Amino acid sequence: MNQKWNSEKSLFLSRCLTIATLALGIASLFCIPVITEWYDAVSGEEPIHIVLNIVLYLSAMLGIVALWQLRALLNRFAKQQVFVTENAACFRKIAWCCFGVALLWLILTFWRFLAFFVAFIAAFAGLLLRVMKNMLEAAVEMREENDYTI
Amino acid sequence: MPIIVNLDVMMAKRKISAGELAERVDITPANLSILKNNKAKAVRFSTLEAICRELDCQPGDVLEYVKNE
Repeated sequence: MNQKWNSEKSLFLSRCLTIATLALGIASLFCIPVITEWYDAVSGEEPIHIVLNIVLYLSAMLGIVALWQLRALLNRFAKQQVFVTENAACFRKIAWCCFGVALLWLILTFWRFLAFFVAFIAAFAGLLLRVMKNMLEAAVEMREENDYTI
Repeated sequence: MPIIVNLDVMMAKRKISAGELAERVDITPANLSILKNNKAKAVRFSTLEAICRELDCQPGDVLEYVKNE
């Protein structure tokens, strides 16, 4: 192979995937009523389409916000701005979006117990992102100390 | 920061320009500017030694502790 896989191409792929997922997230907003109606028809349980609609709409919006932050993060990575406070703020916002989704699905647990697993996964992702945010903040501090040591 | 760098005062006393001092101390003019403008977080002993050697002064002439109110 003439062209080798490198970090630049990997970053480009990540940016493309983020934009594609963002487009999918926005498109999903239009499909939510159909999905909830289909779910109520298939589940055979008490219909919860109003609650499910609210949870899915809010989750999708939080997902879009998280993906937008991810896009901003990757744009800064492309500009070689990795250890900067803005990136730590991005991680924090994404983590809060995950916690928000976790809370919404935890509420849905009152109607459907299986929603608990989605809530757990979202909360776990939020926790991991928060730890990454803490690490990035420490890295920013170390970089600043290194840069400003004369 | 309660530590103040009085490098510009010593430079004026010794009549030496920032560019010349940076060259003699072997640091970049940008780093000397960071030091002069009190933006530095730390100073290496080797840098301080070179500054004191070139300005013929003591570390206390360049660095000053000011109590926070």
